[in-house]
Amino acid sequence: MKKLNAKEILVPAVSLFIICLVVTALLAVTNMVTAPKIDELAAERQNEAKKVVLSDAESFSDEKTVEKDGVQYTYYEGLSQSEEKIGYVFLTSAKGYGGDIDIMVGIGNDGSVKGVTVLSISETAGLGMNAKNDKFLNQYKDKNSEISVIKTGTPSDNEIQALTGATITSKAVTSAVNTALDLYKTAGGEANG
Amino acid sequence: MKIFFSILLTAILTNNYILSKFLGICPFLGVSKKLNTAVGMSLAVIFVMLLSSAVTYPLNTFLDNHGLGYLQTIVFILVIAALVQLVEIVLKKYIPALYSSLGIYLPLITTNCAVLGVTILNIDNGYSFSHAMINTLGAGLGFMVAMVMFAGVRSKLESCDVPKFLQGLPITLISASLTSLSFLGFTGLVENMFG
Amino acid sequence: MADKKSLGHEFTKGIIKENPVLRLVLGTCPTLATTTSLESAIGMGISAMIVLVCSNIVISALRKVIPQKVRIPCYIVIIAGFVTIVQMLVKAFLPSLDEQLGVYLPLIVVNCIILGRAEAFAGKNSVVASALDGLGMGVGFTCALAIMGTIRELLGSGSLYGHAILPESIPPMTIFVLAPGGFFVFGLVMACANKLAEAGGGKKATLGGCKACPMASSCEKLAAGEKCGEKEVEK
Repeated sequence: MKKLNAKEILVPAVSLFIICLVVTALLAVTNMVTAPKIDELAAERQNEAKKVVLSDAESFSDEKTVEKDGVQYTYYEGLSQSEEKIGYVFLTSAKGYGGDIDIMVGIGNDGSVKGVTVLSISETAGLGMNAKNDKFLNQYKDKNSEISVIKTGTPSDNEIQALTGATITSKAVTSAVNTALDLYKTAGGEANG
Repeated sequence: MKIFFSILLTAILTNNYILSKFLGICPFLGVSKKLNTAVGMSLAVIFVMLLSSAVTYPLNTFLDNHGLGYLQTIVFILVIAALVQLVEIVLKKYIPALYSSLGIYLPLITTNCAVLGVTILNIDNGYSFSHAMINTLGAGLGFMVAMVMFAGVRSKLESCDVPKFLQGLPITLISASLTSLSFLGFTGLVENMFG
Repeated sequence: MADKKSLGHEFTKGIIKENPVLRLVLGTCPTLATTTSLESAIGMGISAMIVLVCSNIVISALRKVIPQKVRIPCYIVIIAGFVTIVQMLVKAFLPSLDEQLGVYLPLIVVNCIILGRAEAFAGKNSVVASALDGLGMGVGFTCALAIMGTIRELLGSGSLYGHAILPESIPPMTIFVLAPGGFFVFGLVMACANKLAEAGGGKKATLGGCKACPMASSCEKLAAGEKCGEKEVEK
């Protein structure tokens, strides 16, 4: 094997190192510019989502947490104009087909679902992704106890119709809504008691 | 245990990286002409996938803890490229037998999007380390299943009389479409086993 | 040498004659994965184009500085850098696009078009020519994706760029936005492109294989017989 001289190794190594350094510096700068914007956007979207799922509320309380089965969940209390509590907004998630599905569920003081919206989802386009459609999500409205999913037939009181070809996704969203209904009991109990 | 099988089977059958996520299409179309090359390529991919997932997962935790999450892509691709080189050198030196059968596929893997894809998806899906490794194994095995099956389909295709305008790549893509259609049928299987 | 005519050629060749997707068969993964709707197809095309033009410019500007031995890692670092920048910008300003492209946005790093152009063109040519080459290839890539996206969205969701086109009475064929539909449409579009190329006296599309593969140099050393050369789908 021929002996490599120092220059042959050093020059490529140093130039690669310099390129890495410059690129990293550039990224850090871009990150500094975009990171606040990304956070701001996320907060804004969450605010909008809160208004969608609990449209009666005028304002929302600060972030609160509630624990169930050892997991911490975030929730907000929805307030009316006179600062009275009129409902809750829970952030829950469940494992779908292509990873976690994060949803936001609004529950009124009467314990029924006021609205559901999907915060993040990465399911199959054309099938599971239809879970974002209002037509599917509106099925959850006014449900107040454990919801189950059916594939065919007409859904009765506490049933919803699964999306065509996406039972796993439908079940995941439903289980996340059910978690929120459970959390309502815990959080509501705490606040009322 | 159930969750392990669920992740594994989902990655192999229903979320097949080639046929439903479209990752690693280049080798799928390029190296699937003969059965033994298809197997060799897949073995190399499984090996590199497992190795790079094992390395990138803790690295990502480190990056996140230091607020450097934005370096994810660049770090991952460099790690994969370096690992591939390293594996090549080690195999060449110490296990020449294995090198002679897998070695030629290794350089091609660096730019295989299935490898980078699986490492990023492990993080995106919020898997724990063990789940991530199972998912990686499933992705690799799924890659192999798709490659081997498609090699079979293509060998049949060789002796077929294909309309002139479809010869070559178009017919290959259309048979890939049918193969992928058959995998769509597995959705119900996993759904009913674990749903 | 670099007169107007040849510079114009650098730009136009990528759009039709050497269309990266339909002629050179590069970047097939995003072509299949992100064309479920016209919007995401165009988003992916433009993101890749930006990365391609920027990396082509930087790589050709640095082509005398980058040592031959470590040029591939250097290219990868530069490309990954631009991809991350584009990724952050998309996240900050076009969040809905970010959601649609998902993992395929960072995967632009391993898009063979970009590394392939860096290796085959930008590493050897002047900055202006490389920029035009990148722009042309990017436009060609975006056009091919847009064609695929249009067909798949129209047939699969009955809409175009998110606006419903087909009346409710015609149910959309969901299969076209699913994986099999992607392969199928790509196959047919490729067949049409072949037919047109034939009419124009051109060659059939062959899998880029060794020539376009950035790893060709390391591959050539080892390859013999079927290993790599046979990858090309000959007529």
